This record gives sequence, structure tokens and C-alpha cells, in this order.
Amino acid sequence: MSTVDVFGIEGAPLGVRNQVKGRGHLRSGSLGVGLALLGTLLVFSFVASLVGGSPAHQDLNSALVGPGVAGHLLGTDALGRDVFGWVGGGIRTSLEVALGVVTLSLAMGCTIGVVGGLLGGWVDVVLMRLADIQLSIPPLPVFIAVSVVISNNMSSLIVLIAVFGWVPYARLCRARVLTERQRGYVSAARLAGRSRTAIAFVHVLPGITTEISVLASLQAGVCLLWEASLSFLGLGLQPPYVSLGYLMAEGRQVLYQAWWVAVFPGATLALLVIGFNLTGDGIRDLLKHDTSVGNL
Amino acid sequence: MSTAGDQFSEVRNTRVSGAALYVVGRLGQGVLVLFGAVTLSFIIIHMTGNPATVLIGTSMPPAAVHILAVKLGYNRPILVQYVSYIWHVAHANFGVSVADGTPASGLVLGALPYTLMLVGISWVSAIVIALAVGISSVLRVGAWGDRLWRPVMIGFQGIPDFWIALILLFVLAVKLRLLESIGFYGPASLIMPCIALTLPIVASFTRLLRGSLLDFMNSDVVLSLRARGLTRREIVLYHGVRNAMTTFVSYVALQLGWLIGGTLVIETIFAWPGIGTLLYNAVEGRDLPVVQGVVVVISFAFVVLNLIADLVVLWLDPRIGRNVLGDNS
Repeated sequence: MSTVDVFGIEGAPLGVRNQVKGRGHLRSGSLGVGLALLGTLLVFSFVASLVGGSPAHQDLNSALVGPGVAGHLLGTDALGRDVFGWVGGGIRTSLEVALGVVTLSLAMGCTIGVVGGLLGGWVDVVLMRLADIQLSIPPLPVFIAVSVVISNNMSSLIVLIAVFGWVPYARLCRARVLTERQRGYVSAARLAGRSRTAIAFVHVLPGITTEISVLASLQAGVCLLWEASLSFLGLGLQPPYVSLGYLMAEGRQVLYQAWWVAVFPGATLALLVIGFNLTGDGIRDLLKHDTSVGNL
Repeated sequence: MSTAGDQFSEVRNTRVSGAALYVVGRLGQGVLVLFGAVTLSFIIIHMTGNPATVLIGTSMPPAAVHILAVKLGYNRPILVQYVSYIWHVAHANFGVSVADGTPASGLVLGALPYTLMLVGISWVSAIVIALAVGISSVLRVGAWGDRLWRPVMIGFQGIPDFWIALILLFVLAVKLRLLESIGFYGPASLIMPCIALTLPIVASFTRLLRGSLLDFMNSDVVLSLRARGLTRREIVLYHGVRNAMTTFVSYVALQLGWLIGGTLVIETIFAWPGIGTLLYNAVEGRDLPVVQGVVVVISFAFVVLNLIADLVVLWLDPRIGRNVLGDNS
């Protein structure tokens, strides 16, 4: 991790010099922006639930009203539902899906990874081969295929997406259990009479929460896109659920008359995903920063 | 990682080279993955217990469901069905489409070229753009171009591809009337779906390439190259790119899975005659054989492409082959 400055800060052009010196700021910057973005969207969602029309309220007299007209900040869709209110509710639905998926696959992945790393032997081989197989099957076609057979509600959708998300957590936890086993604090805990399971869950896992949170944040962004894609195809969440993907599908039908029905929920979705990506990247950058400091 | 290392430890003293072992291991893993995908598609169809109820809908009387189940063999023991399913899939036989009675495999293979065209063009253009942007931004780290790209790329990476498709549709087809929006009608029809698919992955490709190039530039190798009098430009072009390429190739191949997922949605927007539209219609019509066929064929394509990527990585970085042997000794 020795970051030898080959080109010499002093000899480099001003831009590079600033970049290298200002790295700490640049790096923590994306975390700040990401969290601020997510926070703003949460506030937006809250305001929309107070001020905007109820997503369930249909009013054919004010169908396809443009943005800003007649009290509809972001316009209405073909059934006269307020886009502002819908987008606000959609943010909440998206975050619920993300929270559910991340919690579930995190729990699954960490358990599997720790078990594999602790037990070793054929259990480990089987689990890691399963992980390889899982990673080699593109998820979206499978999600689509599954929705032929089961009717989607929020919890089945969360389980479905979560089942495909455990692999990165499992790999991280397994690798960490394998390497941390050699460390001094683990030997100390062994001497103190702690069981291997206790060491893994009480001592090793808490040490990698930051790394896990990077995975969680990035996964949250991806699973939002999956949920929206499925709902857009009419296979994910349908009313009474308030999904951004569903509203975009509605907007596609009326794209010729009313651009706002598709554009606003899409932009919101994009901001949510960018928010999660930035947060994940930001935490990872902080980690890099930490390790290089730790090595000095 | 190395299946070869686990399974073939007895032959490590023979004259089989590490590279061959690596390839065999990867092939073995590919077969496992395909087996997993076939099994998964079987499980999906049998998730509710009796697939006949899915085909016929819940409103029909049990007797009618039973007649259909007998006709399609869904009343046999589950293991017998599983074995016969694998047997049929191995012969590229997914049964006949419920919609029009033609073989499902024919439908899938007929639609596949259109999807491959879309995926292939988007993938290659994403790689080319990522190489150009990534390398030029590393050549001038901190220059305005490099700083401008970073936020733009982060933005693109988060934008849903189907939203880009809708915006393109609105701007190019509805407002400017430059392009038609329906189906395949020659090269011009590729423009909108390809842009929509390319933009998000260009972003992730570029960021990965830039990151691994910068990692290389911070390594000790560069110090010695620098001592030999090479310029930064030479180091990036002749050493950095080659070193970053191994990570890049494996990543780019894995992202094909993401791209395939993306096309499924994009195709329905443009009524593109590929497997995305086929799958969508099959799901709407509860056409189970076609659904199974699409899932298996997509996994097959994905496995083959990743195998090719593994071979390319092996060619780029022969150390991988040696490491397979090193694992055991």
C-alpha cells in the first residue's frame, strides 16, 4: 500500500498537485454528497406526502395536466393522479424495498460466509461453488421468469431479489474470517476461551462493518433498478403499491402527449441510485484512506 | 477460485501445463453453471407445485387442470420430470410454445440474433469509449477533462437505461421525428436502444479502467520504469494498459449479465424482435416452455462469453496459469 509519489508532487503540474494534496477532501466529498442527496430525497418524499395529492386519488377531470398547473407541481398522469404525490410515495417504496433486500441478503450472505470460512472443508467448497454458479446466472431474466409463476407483492419481491444478492457479502465475510484467523486478537480471544463462532460473530464481523456497508450501499442502488425494471414491465409492484417503475410504464403510454409522467419518476429513481452509489464509493474511499494511514 | 486446483491435484506432476488445467477448471465450472441454470428454470416452473395450474389459470375446475397435467406429463413423480427435463434440454428441446404450437427452442434461437446484435454493439462501443476516455484521463490526471468526466460518469452509472430509452424516444422520435420507434428496420433502428444500453455501462467501465490504471501508476513497478527514463505517457500506454487489462476484461465480461438484463426491458420499449420481447410476451401469455428456453439460452450465452473472457485473460496474463499449479505445491 506504499503510495510512492513517483512523479513528485513538487514537479507535477498544478492540477495534479492539488489533486494529490486535496485527496482527503475529494474522497470524503462523495460520501457527503451521496448522503445529502439521499437525505434531500427523503425530505422531498415527506413533503410530497404532506403537500402532494394522494397517489391513490384519481380524478379524470384533471388528467394529463402539465407541471405547475392547477396545484399539480409535477403534473398528473392519464388517470389524473398527482405525479408529485406519486413520486414522493415511490421514494418511500423504493427505500423500503432497498432496506428489505439489503437486510435479508446481508444476513444470509454473512452467515453463509462465516460458516464457510469457519468450517472449511467440503461445506466451504460447496458454498463457494454455489456462489460462483449464482454469480454466473444473470438475475433479471430469472426474476422475470419467476413472476410468471408467483404473483408479486412487496415481500415476495424482496425475498426474490435478496436471494440473488448474498454472494458478495458471503465472499467478503469468508475471506475476512480466513485472514483474520491469523491475527493476534483472535489468538488472544481463543486463549480467553472464546468459541470460534463467538470470535467470528463478536470480534471479526464488527471489524468489517464498514466494508459490508460499502457492499450494502451499492447493492441498494442496484436492487432499486431491478425493482423499477420489473414494475416497469408490469411484473413487479402494481397498485396499490406506489412504484416509480410502474409510473414510468404509465408515462410511456402517454409519452406523446405528456412527457412529465415518465420523466419525473425516472429522474427521481436516477437520483436515488446515484445517492446510494456515491455513498458506497465515499465509504470505500474513506476505507482506502484509513488503511494507508494505518500502514504508515 | 481454482476448481482445477481442487479436482485435479493428482495430475499436478504430469506434464499437463497450468494453463490447460486452468482452462479445464473453467470449463468444468461452466458446465456446473449451466446445470445450475437448467435446474433453476425447472424449480421456477414447479414452484407452485403443479405447472398446469399456472398454464391454465386458477379459475378452471380441478378436473381440467388434471387433464392438462396428464397431457403434459406434470403428474409424474418430480424426479422423473426433472431427469426428463434435463434430457430434453440437452437436446435443445424445451417443448412447444403454448401460444402457437411451434418448438420453443426455434422461437428463442430465431430471436437471439437480434438481441446479440443489440448487446454486442452496445458492449463493444462501451469498451471502445471507456478505453479512450479512461486512458486519456489517466494521461492527464487532474486536468479539466479528467475532473469533468468523474461526475458525468457517476451520474450516468446511476441512470436507469429504460429511462434513457424513454427520453430518447421522446426527443428523437416524438419531438424531432428523426427516428421511428417501432421494431427493427435496419441500422437506424439500432441507434436509440444502443445508446440507452451503452451509457450506463460506459460509466462503470471507464471508472474501473481509470481506477486500475491509477492503482498501477502507484505501484513500485512504475518507479523502476520511471528510473529507466520512460515518460508517464509511455508507462501508461505500454505498461499500464496491459496491466489494467486483466481486471478490465474479466469485469467487462461479467457486466454482460447486466447488459442482458437491460436489453430485456429496453427491447419491450422499442418492440425489438429479440428475446426480451419474446420473454415479455411469454410471461404475459404464461408460455412456460418459452420462458424456460429463454432463461437457459441466456445463461448458456453468458457462460460461453465468460469462458472466452477467461481465455483472453489467460492470454493477457500467463501468471494465472502458473498460479494454478502453485496452489497445490
